[in-house]
Amino acid sequence: MGREVSESCVDSLLTEMVSSYCDRFYANKPELAARRIEAIGFQVGHQLSERYTMERPRFSDNLEAIKFICKDFWSELFKKQIDNLKTNHKGTFVLQDNRFRWLARMSIDPSSEDGDLSQDNSAPVTENKAAQATSMHLYFPCGIIRGALSNLGIPCAVSADISSLPACELLVMECIRLYLLSYAHCIAFISTARYSFFSQSRSSCMIIVIFHPCISERALRFR
Amino acid sequence: MIVCVAVVGHQNNPLYIQSFTEADDALKLHHIVHCSLDVVDERVNNPKKYGPTLNEPFLGLLYPTENYKVYGYLTNTKVKFIVVTTGLDVRDADVRNFFRRFHAAYVDAVSNPFHVPGKKITSRTFAERVSTIVKSFGLSSAG
Repeated sequence: MGREVSESCVDSLLTEMVSSYCDRFYANKPELAARRIEAIGFQVGHQLSERYTMERPRFSDNLEAIKFICKDFWSELFKKQIDNLKTNHKGTFVLQDNRFRWLARMSIDPSSEDGDLSQDNSAPVTENKAAQATSMHLYFPCGIIRGALSNLGIPCAVSADISSLPACELLVMECIRLYLLSYAHCIAFISTARYSFFSQSRSSCMIIVIFHPCISERALRFR
Repeated sequence: MIVCVAVVGHQNNPLYIQSFTEADDALKLHHIVHCSLDVVDERVNNPKKYGPTLNEPFLGLLYPTENYKVYGYLTNTKVKFIVVTTGLDVRDADVRNFFRRFHAAYVDAVSNPFHVPGKKITSRTFAERVSTIVKSFGLSSAG
């Protein structure tokens, strides 16, 4: 039943999807564009997880499901496994990919538009610009992971962080009790997760957006 | 001979029920499928009694009624397949084979971008594939 498509077609489709949603459909509303892209990824992940768990025995717990995502699911999608998996054993997982396939061909022009930046500031600023430009491209894989995990019975929120360009980290948080948290607690929960996990990373840009139906639009603007 | 095939979602919502007899007892078959869902839940939640088959999707014979045998299959995504057969000469291997092909057809039906997860499967292609699989089940076990 499988027909093959060239990888450059997939890359072009993803690039065009992100640029259409960000520049044409929701030109001044990046949060809405991000939400739509993530929703598309959710449906794709939902359907892919059906296909790729077909031959496997059932998972006995959440860790096995996450390991499935890191090994088999990631190899089916990107022909490689996740390079590093960290957990705090309380329902939060960090998946690290040192060379994310969909970011591998992206580059950012290092020359900045305003020429009055000194040499000392240029490195973190260009990293910042790079992260902003490429962060939109990470909503789709976040959605895929969220869709796959929710189909396996694990509701979660997935966010992504780019440290250096082809490498990215995906943070998976199980939201078992998230629906009980009020808006204020959501923010506290998000901030503690950020600081406990990314205190050692060298990234100068933290872009974490959590998508979950119970989190209002106001929460999305908290960055 | 298979008389009824059902796909039930993870919230016990029916996604696809099809009976293959000419008689008018479709309601009775639906009732049998509904009762078998409890057995599936019990099997999955009590691993100690059914130790070796804990993580296997094929659950085996769920319960025999006076005329029928009911087999179950639970996928990783908590979707249940129920098959009701008139069970005179039905072999386990045939049922496993049937479930494997049925699972492949289900995955293809769910991968349809116009299919809404959680709603009934309305694809005619899926219905035709299922009836082909059901017909070939009958033939292979008779031979």
